[in-house]
Amino acid sequence: MKLAFYPGCSLEGMARDYADSIDAVFRSLEIGLVEIDDWSCCGATAAHSLSEMMAVALPARNIAAAEKMGLDVVVPCANCFNRMRFSQAMIRKGIFDVPWSVTGKTRIHDMTRFLSRDDMIEKIRRRLLRPLSGLKLISYYGCQMVRPPRITGFTDYENPQTLDRLAAAAGADVLDWSYKTTCCGASIGIGRRDIQEALTRKLLAKAVRTGADAIVVSCPLCQSNLDSIQADAGGRKLPIFYFTEVLRLALTRVGRSQRWLRTHIADPVPLLRARRLLP
Amino acid sequence: MHDNAAHRRSARSDVNRRHRIGDRGDHFLRRVEGETGANLSACYQCERCTNACPVSAFMDVKPHQVIRYIQLGWRETLLASSTVWVCLSCEMCTTYCPNEVGVAETINHLRKMATHSTIRPKEPHLAVFHQTFLEELQRFGRVNEFWLMGALNLKPGVLKDKIRSGALRQEIELGYTLWRLGKLKLIPHRCKAVRGIRALYRNRYAEKD
Ligand code: SF4
Ligand code: SF4
Repeated sequence: MKLAFYPGCSLEGMARDYADSIDAVFRSLEIGLVEIDDWSCCGATAAHSLSEMMAVALPARNIAAAEKMGLDVVVPCANCFNRMRFSQAMIRKGIFDVPWSVTGKTRIHDMTRFLSRDDMIEKIRRRLLRPLSGLKLISYYGCQMVRPPRITGFTDYENPQTLDRLAAAAGADVLDWSYKTTCCGASIGIGRRDIQEALTRKLLAKAVRTGADAIVVSCPLCQSNLDSIQADAGGRKLPIFYFTEVLRLALTRVGRSQRWLRTHIADPVPLLRARRLLP
Repeated sequence: MHDNAAHRRSARSDVNRRHRIGDRGDHFLRRVEGETGANLSACYQCERCTNACPVSAFMDVKPHQVIRYIQLGWRETLLASSTVWVCLSCEMCTTYCPNEVGVAETINHLRKMATHSTIRPKEPHLAVFHQTFLEELQRFGRVNEFWLMGALNLKPGVLKDKIRSGALRQEIELGYTLWRLGKLKLIPHRCKAVRGIRALYRNRYAEKD
């Protein structure tokens, strides 16, 4: 099985660790990811906010490239996914003039949704090397992956399940909580740090009250917000895992160096040792 | 007596300063409805959008008021509000509106209107951030976080404000931590397609090089 892969800008920088773990997980599931050749930025919130034309045209370029490959696209970043689906919906209307030949017929999958299909869950269960029993996880979806439902195609946007199913497949104890899709503040911290901190701290406090050991996310910006706010906080730190890191932990051998686990500000290694998931 | 007269005078000037309801016709409402396709006339001010909004406490015009103000034609008040910049496009409002009013899409549209207007943005840093992001995108075709923050800090006034508020120190500390963790890409990648992207942007806005 082969898929076209659109990583997005974050995965080259702040979310390097996400990219690494995606690579490891898809390798171990024996699914080929073919990076879209010379992909460009989706425009993110800026294009969406300032220019309707760029909001449609920028993702359209990548969709056109994927169409040429003739493969379904899988997107790990929630915002990229949202922007691509939005652009695709506009292209399908047939009234937008973009300089690339594009039909909008290619299927664009959110990565969590793709991996939480029944056959994929089955595959993960069969290959489990280290079930994460005893690890209490909650999943956090944020906004862009699930809303607006007419664009993202999520029908359970109030209580989404994709990350929960994946964490459960990895053998973890998945807890329920009510802030799954409450916004983390996105990039507002750049201009208004006070708003950012208010929103992010509320999420972390609720996570602690729920009794979670760690949070599972799929969005690079959510991860960065939830993780970096803990840089100056004393006391117990709450690791923020990408869901692919959870899967990697369950599916592959972890070498002595544990280097790839040491890329977060809230270091998860002490927790994993305490739960006897690492030597 | 004298006090009373002064009071009356000030009350009268208050009235004059207040927006008179309904004196602007419905052309702004029709314009925004026409451009966004959102059925703003269906709003019955239940405030569900505002209650669902994670940042309504930080807005001067709350989401349900945005819709009402459009109905009343208060364009300047809306474009000068902090709301258009504080809104996160999180889509909670639209998702929970019982009348399927596209609140988030409408606020996003107002943000575009504000960008093209001469009204000074109430949240200049947020406005300049979006602008810088698009500039960086046109420079490399992809956006590099390190270069983006650098370009942002070079915008007029940004660095000064950051030094004053202590945000710069926090930013440098975080940058160092990220670099230590190997998560800071210092050298940006330049897309081969960047020329096409620039040309697209230029042609649409009829600028010539
Ligand atoms: S939720 Fe909808 S109907 Fe209610 S106030 Fe907001 S826009 Fe109006
Ligand atoms: S989209 Fe904007 S106005 Fe609507 S709920 Fe989110 S932050 Fe509030």
